[in-house]
Amino acid sequence: MSKKALITGITGQDGSYLAELLLEKGYEVHGIIRRASTFNTGRLDTIYQDPHTDDRQLHLHYGDLADASALARLIGRIGPNEIYNLAAQSHVRVSFDSAEYTTDITATGAVRLLEAIRETGVEARYYQASSSEMYGKVQEIPQKESTPFYPRSPYGCAKVYAYWITTNYRESYGLHASNGILFNHESPRRGETFVTRKITRALARIKAGLQDKIFLGNLDAKRDWGFAKEYVEAMWLMLQQEEPDDYVIATGETHSVREFLQVAFEHVGLNHEDHVAFDERYLRPAEVELLVGDCSKAKQKLGWEPKTKFEDLVKLMVDADMKELQDQMAGVVKPDLRD
Amino acid sequence: MPTALITGITGQDGSYLTELLLGRGYEVHGVVRRTSSLERSRLSGLYQDEAIYGKRLFLHYADLDDPTTLRRVLLKVAPDEVYHLAGQSHVGLSFEIPESTCELTAMGTLRLLEMIRDMDSPARFYHASSSEVFGRPAGAPQNEETPFAPVTPYGCAKAFATRMTAIYRESFELFAVNGIMFNHESPRRGENFVTRKICRAAAEIKAGRRHELTLGDLSAQRDWGYAPDYVKGMWLALQHDSPEDFVFATGGLHSVQDVVEAAFEAMDLEWEKCVRRDSRFIRPAEPTALVGDASKAKHLLGWAPEKPFEAFIAEMTEAEFAALQTG
Repeated sequence: MSKKALITGITGQDGSYLAELLLEKGYEVHGIIRRASTFNTGRLDTIYQDPHTDDRQLHLHYGDLADASALARLIGRIGPNEIYNLAAQSHVRVSFDSAEYTTDITATGAVRLLEAIRETGVEARYYQASSSEMYGKVQEIPQKESTPFYPRSPYGCAKVYAYWITTNYRESYGLHASNGILFNHESPRRGETFVTRKITRALARIKAGLQDKIFLGNLDAKRDWGFAKEYVEAMWLMLQQEEPDDYVIATGETHSVREFLQVAFEHVGLNHEDHVAFDERYLRPAEVELLVGDCSKAKQKLGWEPKTKFEDLVKLMVDADMKELQDQMAGVVKPDLRD
Repeated sequence: MPTALITGITGQDGSYLTELLLGRGYEVHGVVRRTSSLERSRLSGLYQDEAIYGKRLFLHYADLDDPTTLRRVLLKVAPDEVYHLAGQSHVGLSFEIPESTCELTAMGTLRLLEMIRDMDSPARFYHASSSEVFGRPAGAPQNEETPFAPVTPYGCAKAFATRMTAIYRESFELFAVNGIMFNHESPRRGENFVTRKICRAAAEIKAGRRHELTLGDLSAQRDWGYAPDYVKGMWLALQHDSPEDFVFATGGLHSVQDVVEAAFEAMDLEWEKCVRRDSRFIRPAEPTALVGDASKAKHLLGWAPEKPFEAFIAEMTEAEFAALQTG
């Protein structure tokens, strides 16, 4: 019988890549999606299966990390072998505007899920999507599993709570629960309001002559950027280990927003200085410092390491957004099978 | 007259703090939850005093999980100082009810910070943090720089609330401070805390109402102080020139066994004849070697614990004994 996985946040960047990976590996994949009056499953288009087809391997269920009863019911009914908690209010700047909601989903949501596992007695392994934002005001460079956390945003603070409660449930109840401390990871499926995607989308429109300027905040902010598709493989590897543990997943390289702009604009033959304008609205009330991860533990224990280089990542994102815009302008319509 | 708003006013610390603030000329407002039992015994002296209640002490119904009401109370009272002491404060119980512990202790603090951020002239904010945030610390004693490593749902929630308080200070320039308090006891300690249980049992044995006391790990050690000393630290922290986090602690460690000895000594009893051990009372993940370094509070606030360990354990036991005589 195939293994069953349950993914929260399946409609997001990581969730969609992870769903693809698990389907390839022969899993029956279940995802929790929130009800919205607009479609929110765009990233799942390529793997979406009509509910009326036989032998479906991908199942989507309505639910929400704010809804403890629904979580317990779904976990009890599905009986997953693996649970990946990727859902969150995941935007750092927005967490300053909507701190309470961020906490409800990102922090309390994690404990609701862990409680649901404990209550239903399902023997599921648990993956918690932790984040480099937990390091915030960094206590050492590079950051590894033993580096103390010092979050500087409501998002970071909520993620630290989720990290600790995951560790706590592992130690107190013997759950196979692991934290993946993922540094920034990008892809053509990155949310449109994140700086990398915002740049590559704007660049496609600038190149096409549809807009002239892009407004950005702190260009000197530096991040450790990897390719999301590779990072979800590390999530899966963590749950295949005999013992649960915590792992940093990162490239170990750091680049500024300015460098991202340079590589992206040069790739299409433009100079970013002609098109970038400053807007203080995009500054965070408190900026994190030099985030750069040391993933030697993951390398050693999971045999995982990043492959895609920074320049290649930027270029593949630019190319994807150029193609998407061209398709859009040419009137290519994606098939929509959902009811 | 300065105005203070206290959450958790019906608790041990809230009631002592109310007395301290009234003594210093404050108008004091407290937030209380509606229950069908009147859980205000710790305030009953003040509540029944006509010169105080309704004139300088006011209670308002609200709850940390009812933001609308809380916001309304905050706007109406417009306090100069907010002391946020409310929380699901029992560590062992936080394993039973982790979600509501998170909801009240973590989310409740965040809601208050959001409301204060929205005030025209934001109140000074005191958050009652706890040594449980250190959990399993790398070294001892712990001070304001020690990294957090909580090992209980209570500790996780408190660590969240503590960092969030600092984030609102750093990001929105609120006068928001954390008092990282190590254990502090008194005759008003909650009845399901170990010190209070031991003192009550010693008094009951003395009064001939029971014969023995069953406890978990007798070797567990804590840095135990006297609650009235600690609420003074809260007030001092909000009077300081700049908002800073402070550790409040005695710097000394005592074991559960020491509590037993001091309590039974106060009743002239031999503890060896009355105490039994039971592993059911041992917590799933017990934090170790929690002992605080309060030199920053001493240096900047002139704060120091006053009442010694044996003296307040004796006071607690005698209070229990007196209650048995009148009750």
